[in-house]
Amino acid sequence: MSLSSNPSVPASLGDDQATYPLSFTLNGKPTEAQVHPLSTLLEVVREDLRYTGTKGACHEGECGSCTVLVDGVPMNSCLILAPQAQGAEIVTVEGLADGETLDRVQEAFLACGAVQCGYCTPGLLISAKAFLEKCPDPTPEEVRKGMEGNICRCTGYMKVVDAVVQAAKSSKGGCHAE
Amino acid sequence: MFYQPKTVEEALAIKAELGLGARFVAGGTDVVVQMKKGRLSLERVIDLSRLGDLTEARLEDDVCYVGALCAHRTLETWPIPVLADAARQVGGPQIRNRGTVGGNVGTASPAGDVSVALLALDASIDLMSVRGTRTLPLREFFVGVGKTAIEPDELIVGFRFRRPKASGFYKNGKRNSVAISVVCAGASVWEDGSVAIALGSVAPTPLRLTGTEAFLRERGLGAEAIAEAARLATEEVRPITDHRASADYRRAVSGIAVSRLLTQLQGGAHVALV
Ligand SMILES: Cc1cc2nc3c(=O)[nH]c(=O)nc-3n(C[C@H](O)[C@H](O)[C@H](O)COP(=O)(O)OP(=O)(O)OC[C@H]3O[C@@H](n4cnc5c(N)ncnc54)[C@H](O)[C@@H]3O)c2cc1C
Ligand code: FES
Ligand code: FES
Repeated sequence: MSLSSNPSVPASLGDDQATYPLSFTLNGKPTEAQVHPLSTLLEVVREDLRYTGTKGACHEGECGSCTVLVDGVPMNSCLILAPQAQGAEIVTVEGLADGETLDRVQEAFLACGAVQCGYCTPGLLISAKAFLEKCPDPTPEEVRKGMEGNICRCTGYMKVVDAVVQAAKSSKGGCHAE
Repeated sequence: MFYQPKTVEEALAIKAELGLGARFVAGGTDVVVQMKKGRLSLERVIDLSRLGDLTEARLEDDVCYVGALCAHRTLETWPIPVLADAARQVGGPQIRNRGTVGGNVGTASPAGDVSVALLALDASIDLMSVRGTRTLPLREFFVGVGKTAIEPDELIVGFRFRRPKASGFYKNGKRNSVAISVVCAGASVWEDGSVAIALGSVAPTPLRLTGTEAFLRERGLGAEAIAEAARLATEEVRPITDHRASADYRRAVSGIAVSRLLTQLQGGAHVALV
């Protein structure tokens, strides 16, 4: 019995060399791409679609710099096979600001100086955004636990924790968190 | 080739056809890392992410059920401490949102935290293929490092266990988060007095301490019995030395973990030991 002769088996989505048509929503926009079945969502977003805000560093799920929202939930885009994102709503750091108006987490990172080289920042912003949805009024301890999947090599974590607490308070301007 | 079945039947039919030549991918948090490291070739992928039925989990007063595609985050808030605490300590939030219980067991890592928790709940595993369904005690499922009793055409469907009276989980890792366990341990007690204890990272598979359990069935959970159980545990484990810890260290921690867990369970308390 070959795959094609078995009615319960759908036709394969492509042979070994073939690409697969992916359609999904990226930062609110319906988006199409031809993807290799073993490419990762990170590769497709950065390299094919040129949304270079999302960073890749470890490519092993350890650092969190590639974090995106998948249907509202933060995940490591380096661990998702691109065709798995079929039909999903993906939000990258480019999708946080509303036109020229920055999201409150972006404002707070600026106000608190929670950015140095900026490599980890897009992932941190996405994680912070999702964390605050779940935990709108966190203690610094809760922020530490909620953001544990992101690594920063230069700013350190104090200012990041301050920024997330600050964003929760939602006031713009200076940073008042301890 | 990439297959994206919409039903369990389709997934089983594809797997029956392709057997070992195709690999199921659930969250991909293990498989994609292995592929990127060149340790695994993924020529044919059967993506399980559309099989919504397998994400179901049911917390009942008697028998609880966890579907294979249930993400760790679903279990984080369950009032079964051994399972909730194990789930809460897998990787970071992004990994817990994506990684599944079936994937944790399917990987058969000796250090699988949720695998250890399920073993400590004396869980059984439901496996399905085009030939039908079978159920195995989970302790018979792990047969070696990365090796399981699954047949080439089988899919992990889910896990069942009796709800315990009290349970607890312990994890010792190199840092607080996103760290593979150096030793992890879980234990449960039931109304009928039965006890289950499981340890991770101390043998080629997640390990049930059947000898120590048998001793406790005779002796109960008094202070002296617990001290002796902790000693028996250090004899029952078979740890190795690797880059994360020495065998001696793991053996010592095993005894401490068992002693702490049992001391807490003795009071019938729902415990969280981190
Ligand atoms: C940064 C990082 C940190 C991690 N930290 C931890 C940790 O602290 N503790 C821990 O235990 N694990 C940890 N892991 C490992 C991993 O996240 C978990 O084991 C996770 O549960 C795997 O689930 P998955 O759905 O992603 O599996 P996948 O990668 O999709 O699959 C894993 C294996 O199981 C098979 N499989 C999956 N589902 C089924 C099914 N339904 N039927 C049959 N076979 C199936 C696959 O074919 C594959 O062989 C970590 C991983 C990363 C990348
Ligand atoms: S690049 Fe994905 S977690 Fe590091
Ligand atoms: S700001 Fe440089 S890695 Fe975080």
